[in-house]
Amino acid sequence: MIFEVLERSLQQPNRVIPVEALLGNCAGSRMPDVTAARLTPAIAQRLVEVCPTAAFSVAELGGRPCLKLSYAECIGCGRCEQPGEGAVVTAPRFTWCGLPKANLVRLWDLESHTEITPPRPNPEIMRGQIRSLFGKALNIRQLDAGSCNGCEAEISALTNPYYDLERFGIHFVASPKHADMLLVTGPVTRNMAGAVKNTYDAVPSPKLIVAVGACGCSGGIFAGSHAVVGGVDAVIPVDGYIPGCPPTPAMLLTGILEVLRRRTVR
Amino acid sequence: MNDNTPEAVPIGERGPTGPPLVLPRGKTESVARLVTVFGSLGVDREKRVHYVFDVGAPKYWEAFVAASGPVRSIVSEVPAAAWYERELHDQYGIEITEHPDLRPLVFHENWPEGVHPMVDAVNQVPWASREYKFLTVQGDGVAEVAVGPVHAGIIEPGHFRFSVVGDTVLHLELRHFYTHKGTEKLFEGSFVNAGAMIAESVSGDNCFAHAVAYSQAVENACRAEVPPRASAIRLIGLELERLVSHISDLGGLCTDVGFSVAAAYAARLKEFLLRASADCTGTRYWRGIAVPGGLRFDLDSEKVLGLSQAVSLAARQFADLARVILGTPSIQNRFETAGVVSLEVARDLAVVGPVARASGIDLDVRRDHPYGHYKSAQFEVPVTHYGDVMARAKIRIKEAAISARLIQQIAGALPIGSVLAPLELDGAMHGSSAVESPRGELFYWLQGRDGRLTRCHIKSPSFQNWPAMPFAIADNIIADFPLINKSFNLSYSGCDR
Repeated sequence: MIFEVLERSLQQPNRVIPVEALLGNCAGSRMPDVTAARLTPAIAQRLVEVCPTAAFSVAELGGRPCLKLSYAECIGCGRCEQPGEGAVVTAPRFTWCGLPKANLVRLWDLESHTEITPPRPNPEIMRGQIRSLFGKALNIRQLDAGSCNGCEAEISALTNPYYDLERFGIHFVASPKHADMLLVTGPVTRNMAGAVKNTYDAVPSPKLIVAVGACGCSGGIFAGSHAVVGGVDAVIPVDGYIPGCPPTPAMLLTGILEVLRRRTVR
Repeated sequence: MNDNTPEAVPIGERGPTGPPLVLPRGKTESVARLVTVFGSLGVDREKRVHYVFDVGAPKYWEAFVAASGPVRSIVSEVPAAAWYERELHDQYGIEITEHPDLRPLVFHENWPEGVHPMVDAVNQVPWASREYKFLTVQGDGVAEVAVGPVHAGIIEPGHFRFSVVGDTVLHLELRHFYTHKGTEKLFEGSFVNAGAMIAESVSGDNCFAHAVAYSQAVENACRAEVPPRASAIRLIGLELERLVSHISDLGGLCTDVGFSVAAAYAARLKEFLLRASADCTGTRYWRGIAVPGGLRFDLDSEKVLGLSQAVSLAARQFADLARVILGTPSIQNRFETAGVVSLEVARDLAVVGPVARASGIDLDVRRDHPYGHYKSAQFEVPVTHYGDVMARAKIRIKEAAISARLIQQIAGALPIGSVLAPLELDGAMHGSSAVESPRGELFYWLQGRDGRLTRCHIKSPSFQNWPAMPFAIADNIIADFPLINKSFNLSYSGCDR
């Protein structure tokens, strides 16, 4: 019987997506991007009003009005596209994965119509760097701190034949004691706060902590609930953030590799 | 509930400000099935307990009693009410008399006593340290095995306390609500349109069912008519979610018995459908599409047809895979007679969804309480009576094929027109709605005023089905627990909310 399944599997074409096609890919996530040239103060104000998680805000920077977009809060609901009148589009590529929280913020000057986000120290994983990140094992322990299970579904998808995480030497382990990296999803609920701390303590140092999803990054739609403590960094220190609601497998991989890159390629 | 209160009436025929109602007398054992029990606050902030029953009619029946004083438990007549009443006790501080077990359900040891978030404003809840007593099983050779809340795989947190003799489980006690996020409280004060986003985050893998159930409740409250095109596309989304969920479940069952080739095959089919969804809708899980009144945006008919072709291909390959899996002797050996839920247990605990249908309960919201496009759709409801892992697997395999057929039928004949109806939001609103989610009956009840919600209750199928798990695992070996658990496919977040 197992041969029948094997036979069917072998009849299928190879589905594995090359890593180059995964990095920066965000298809199916509906993360927003801003076209600076079309931005006006009125549109910016509408974006702030329509955003359910306050990912958009208007700030003053050096006396000039700016639109601020924080991907940590964004749940990719798409409600900003219509009032954005062309100034907000679904991002064709998305590389704000695995970065420190400060680097998830983008700023646009509303008068000069230009992006004024301070440049990232290392903009993107370079093709030449990819190979140097592999060849070493990375053991990941996934920890659900109170997620809705959307992030779990996408993390599980990383092991399917399209993404095949094992080809990079990355695998999921059953115990935090075997882990190099904690991949933490969900807002940290009051009921899970203790278990999250215990799990963190059980991971041997040096360890990498990655907050996954809008909830993990900021509390997301659950921020402010009486039963939620906050994002992952409200309880344990975090090395990198992967936004999205949920982040797609490609975004997760981009984020995991980015955190790894910052640790190994300095 | 006392005896001089009038009979219950179908929801919608009398508002919540009417006289106190009771459940239909004499119907509790034979016909009526408990749907949910929940609390609310009246205009004068008086506490109320609502009971919703399915009495075999298309309309659900609702009863409520004032709860300024103690309320008698209905657990002895309706065992399925046990967790609901514990939740009421926690969230509303309603005194429940004659309840056999009123230990805290939702709030763990770090919540102080006397905090009732659904009644009082709670911003900063102080940290406390209380005690929780697990039930202890005593006797020669009885050992306890504690599992969780952090489990070994990529799954949600919950605690299982097994009492075993050797390999055999005598008793399992569940300790859940680790992912409790105060979701029902979050709805309070939010605009009806924003509520859809909260509903989508109740249980991520069933987000579309939640968004549709919530939206329908608002539409019923506002008496809005959803355009035919929107309700047809909703049906496609709901059936696709079921198909993906069932494929994923069968793959998960294979993982849990070490049949990894078949599990990888199922995972490939699931991913294929998620990618087809992203091509068609821009989102892998149909998030941000259903809103009160219809859909937030229209889908391209050509792309829907493309999705339908992908579904047809995946369903054919899944049927073939399922045939091979079920024909494998070692699978039969593991699936058959494992984790039996008897008809009696299923009925007493009012279980829903594939778990109910695998135990001989002929129940499907799509057929029994038709909504949206299901009012005109033709489909069968598979039922079997063995109640074991194999029965639940077979129900899901059959349902997956039916879902695929429904998608192809509807996608080939999509109505044209708008996808969003305007909502009349002025004044008081009160409505409810149910959807057959992949896990079973999902019920939303809400009330509000001028477009803002004052209360939204979610009956999730997982909350209903979890209490049946200890009955399914009893007398099985503990090593079969992951398999039996997977065969229920329950959401922790959906249960904990």
